[in-house]
Amino acid sequence: MMGLVLDTFTICKRELIKYFRQKPRIIVTMIQPVIWLALMGNTMSKITNNPFASKLFGTGNYLSFMTPGIVIMTSLFSGIFAGTSIIWDRRIGYLDKLLAAPIKRASIPFGKTLSASIQGALQSAIILLFAYILGVRFASGFLGVLVIILISMLFSFIFSGISLILSSTIKTIETLMAIINFMTLPLMFSSTALFPSKAMPDWLSVIAKINPLSYAVNPIRTLTIKGWEFSSILPGVIIILIFDLIVAFLSYYVFKRLTSD
Amino acid sequence: MKEIIKVASLKKTYKNGTEAVKGITFSINEGEIFGFLGPNGAGKTTTIKTIIGLLKPTEGEVFVNGINVKENPFEVRRLIGYASQETGVDDNLTGEENLRIQASLYHIPEKEYLERGMELLKMFGLYERRKDLVSFYSGGMRKRLDIACALIHRPKILFLDEPTLGLDVQTRVTIWDYIVKLRDNHKMTIFLTTHYMEEADELCDRVAIIDHGEIKALDKPGKLKELIGGDIITFTLNYTNAIEEFLTAVKELPTVKDVRKLPRGIFQIIVSQNGDRLIPKIFEISKEKGVEITSIRLKRPTLDDVYLHFTGRRIRDEEATKEDHVRRRIMMRRTRR
Repeated sequence: MMGLVLDTFTICKRELIKYFRQKPRIIVTMIQPVIWLALMGNTMSKITNNPFASKLFGTGNYLSFMTPGIVIMTSLFSGIFAGTSIIWDRRIGYLDKLLAAPIKRASIPFGKTLSASIQGALQSAIILLFAYILGVRFASGFLGVLVIILISMLFSFIFSGISLILSSTIKTIETLMAIINFMTLPLMFSSTALFPSKAMPDWLSVIAKINPLSYAVNPIRTLTIKGWEFSSILPGVIIILIFDLIVAFLSYYVFKRLTSD
Repeated sequence: MKEIIKVASLKKTYKNGTEAVKGITFSINEGEIFGFLGPNGAGKTTTIKTIIGLLKPTEGEVFVNGINVKENPFEVRRLIGYASQETGVDDNLTGEENLRIQASLYHIPEKEYLERGMELLKMFGLYERRKDLVSFYSGGMRKRLDIACALIHRPKILFLDEPTLGLDVQTRVTIWDYIVKLRDNHKMTIFLTTHYMEEADELCDRVAIIDHGEIKALDKPGKLKELIGGDIITFTLNYTNAIEEFLTAVKELPTVKDVRKLPRGIFQIIVSQNGDRLIPKIFEISKEKGVEITSIRLKRPTLDDVYLHFTGRRIRDEEATKEDHVRRRIMMRRTRR
């Protein structure tokens, strides 16, 4: 167990050193969600002036509705691209080096996931700060903001795990990219990240109900708009945790058996 | 001598049906430099990867230091160091960071890392450049760093997959020196693969010639060369009447197998071994008989001839999968810089 923790930190450390070294990458990943927030938030900001729409969104400030969506979308992206690092490691021969070392194999997906979650958390923090500057006030206060970041990390754990499991069998970046593209946009638009389920047609709202994105967005939205309303925070968090456990177990299993071919 | 690696009827068939290794058996002694010589696609890398547990054998058993790799791969991994063909160093880290992460993976305490790591960096001539990103390293430096990484936990056995692929001759010789030093100073067992004849010949105590997943021959490089026949001495003479007498005398020398008369006054002596020791004796006889030798040349069989003998062709490039090509291209690009 101790070995697993140490190895996970080592793998994560390597990813983070590389992340913080790539200044342009940091700048872009930081600016991108901010642009989303400014652009989407502004173009749609008048929608909540309509009292009916305002009721649908649950707030008079569309930006407050939007911010949780952007946080989760950013975590989704920072997570789902984690798999590319496995494919790249395989190509440069680094994966073989890891597999030849006496490490707990699960530390490879766990370390990379942890690093993706930390990167996602940094981005979330920036988005939340920017949203604050634009006038969003968090009903649950500063502690609520920390919990929002934590939920976003738990959420990005799911998709980086899925992405890493896929990459353990996929050999080319192109294939992984195709799968990522196939998954992300439908996931985004069939969730309550950008639109309230009440505004959706029935069939879509059914999909939105089983979409893991919705489960992550809902507690964050409650924390942002309503405050500490546990009855609507906990169910989402619990379901995210269940997803986390399933993904952790799967990646443990897959990487334990991973070979070089 | 203790057998440190034992491979018994090892077979590896990939999912696509390629029989990469077709049931090979061999063993490696402790403290030996053992070489696998063969062209690309012969099954060298597959064999290495199966021994260190990166691939699962289809059939057969592998024992490293008495431990069954299939049953206890984790224990085996502690004993071995591995430098892959692709030079698995991380371009976006510095040399020192690469080494430090490797040390952490083997749970080496910080204090020991500092001692060993710096020693290795100095030994491999990378100390001055340790704080530079690996992407600024030359191909030879990368390879040296990769080998240094494989040594940080002081393995008992070092596996080097094509350690000098794509490097220039000078760098290659430097790496040979390191390899010999490791064996001599640390009693390390070294298993390397190569498709360079000179490398197998110069460096290895024993060589296995592998082709199409089978071991065609396995022995000391010298023995392998003897196996296919001895040295050839070619000479020319100024014509005199004493020639026949001279040739008869030469034929009676102990190691001479045959004397052939070729067109244009060229003669060939086939020698079973040590042709170099025969040359002075030939001169003695020529003086006795009053025959003037105008030129003389000794040709010894090379491993290339051995290879040709056992496989029916010279080392060639095999077809590889698309992904192999991508890997190779990436590797060459990284090596050439």
